[in-house]
Amino acid sequence: MRRPFEGQELLRQFDEIGSKSLPLVALAGAAIGFVLALESRSSLVHFGAASMLPAALVYSIIHETGPIVTGLVVSGRVGAGIGAELGSMKVTEQIDAIEASGVNPYKFLAFTRILACILVLPLLTIAADFCAVIFGWIAETLAEPVSFQRFINQGFAGATFKDFLAPTFRTVVFGLIIGMIGCFQGMRTQGGTAGVGLSATSSVVLSSLFVILADVILVKIILVFFS
Amino acid sequence: MMRAEQHVLPGVEESSATRTMEGSREKSEAPAVVLKGLHRSFGTQIVLDGIDLTVKSGETLAVLGRSGTGKSVLLKLIIGLQKPDSGSIRVHDQEITRLDLDALNELRKKMGFLFQHAALYDSLSVEQNIAFPLKRHTKMTDSERGDRVRQLLSNVGMESDLKKMPSDISGGMQKRVGLARALALEPGILLLDEPTAGLDPITSAEINELILKLQEEHDMASIVVTHDLQSAKTIADRIALLHEGQVLIEGSFEDLEKSDNEFVSEFMKRDS
Repeated sequence: MRRPFEGQELLRQFDEIGSKSLPLVALAGAAIGFVLALESRSSLVHFGAASMLPAALVYSIIHETGPIVTGLVVSGRVGAGIGAELGSMKVTEQIDAIEASGVNPYKFLAFTRILACILVLPLLTIAADFCAVIFGWIAETLAEPVSFQRFINQGFAGATFKDFLAPTFRTVVFGLIIGMIGCFQGMRTQGGTAGVGLSATSSVVLSSLFVILADVILVKIILVFFS
Repeated sequence: MMRAEQHVLPGVEESSATRTMEGSREKSEAPAVVLKGLHRSFGTQIVLDGIDLTVKSGETLAVLGRSGTGKSVLLKLIIGLQKPDSGSIRVHDQEITRLDLDALNELRKKMGFLFQHAALYDSLSVEQNIAFPLKRHTKMTDSERGDRVRQLLSNVGMESDLKKMPSDISGGMQKRVGLARALALEPGILLLDEPTAGLDPITSAEINELILKLQEEHDMASIVVTHDLQSAKTIADRIALLHEGQVLIEGSFEDLEKSDNEFVSEFMKRDS
């Protein structure tokens, strides 16, 4: 029997989960970078270490702020979206209709969404990191003009590719969590529109919670194996 | 009108749907669906309490009964969307309660299901809804699939609504599209859940005529769950009336009219 690859649905999910989350993730990254630079500056100046700001900022963004902010923003936007969409499909018997037509709804609906989340999260994290660094530089320049090249050189002076790789790719696990929880909550929806609302809410709450828990565990694992 | 079978499903994968079409065209007397001692309950509520029914190929059975008597559950059990607590469900001579998921999905390709509210995929256009099973279960080229979709929509009088979204069409039109989708793979068995519910009398009559026409063209075994006695009278060869989880009476419309059972008389009188 031929197993059709659900390429079209996967592409649709890349657009829904990836492209449409990009503005929000970029904005969140930019805001975090800007605020982090402003807040860190006064402390570093107080200890006479203002020149350390670019390195501190880049380290903080790449290691923790970028991945976790991306994870939580996507939990909110995509977790709710998947939970509500699948919940609505469940209560209107669309999932039953897929099943009745001899198509596995888990493969068609859940697998494509989970895979899209897994693949898209690291890319969104890179976008968030990029915006955070750019807006960190803008905030720093407003306080004390510094060229972008110098800021980047100072920021990435002590950083290696390993520093970037492990934290960014832990968002693969965040994607898995967000996709699985959204699909699970959506596909077990019961009780009409109230049930759909409940599925959307519980998807956001549970995926945010598990993203935070996974972050704590993964940071420890990364410190043990990649430091 | 050109019969759908004449150039349907070029390149249908395996031979599932084709076999069914050929089988049904032979007008075999073999039962398409056999239910024996079917029980289904939800918590403490017993919905089906020992249902025995047989539907032959080419025959239409209407299942009547009050709301909550398990008519829709019966259809969902036949297509394997729910599991019975006990009893046997044989579809095309296969016991579906013992099939694994792959085998069940193969069997589902031989069945068409029209849901009570049509259950069209709301993120897909009318055209994409009908192409959905064709894309996944046949080896049709894009152009063959397009032709088939237009042919199916033409059969239900909706060829001009190809690009519309389900939210842009009326309830009656959604039922028509649902019917076209259910017929996409040329099923040997058609399961219709309240095909005329919520529709005005004229649209109901049109849907009934459409079902009759499609049954004549495709010669399928059909099970129609309905509240609409007029609809049952028009489209069914046989009627089964469910009451308290059991088949209270089974026969022609006239048999039901002549019955001196108090509940049957009351049901026929109230619905007429």
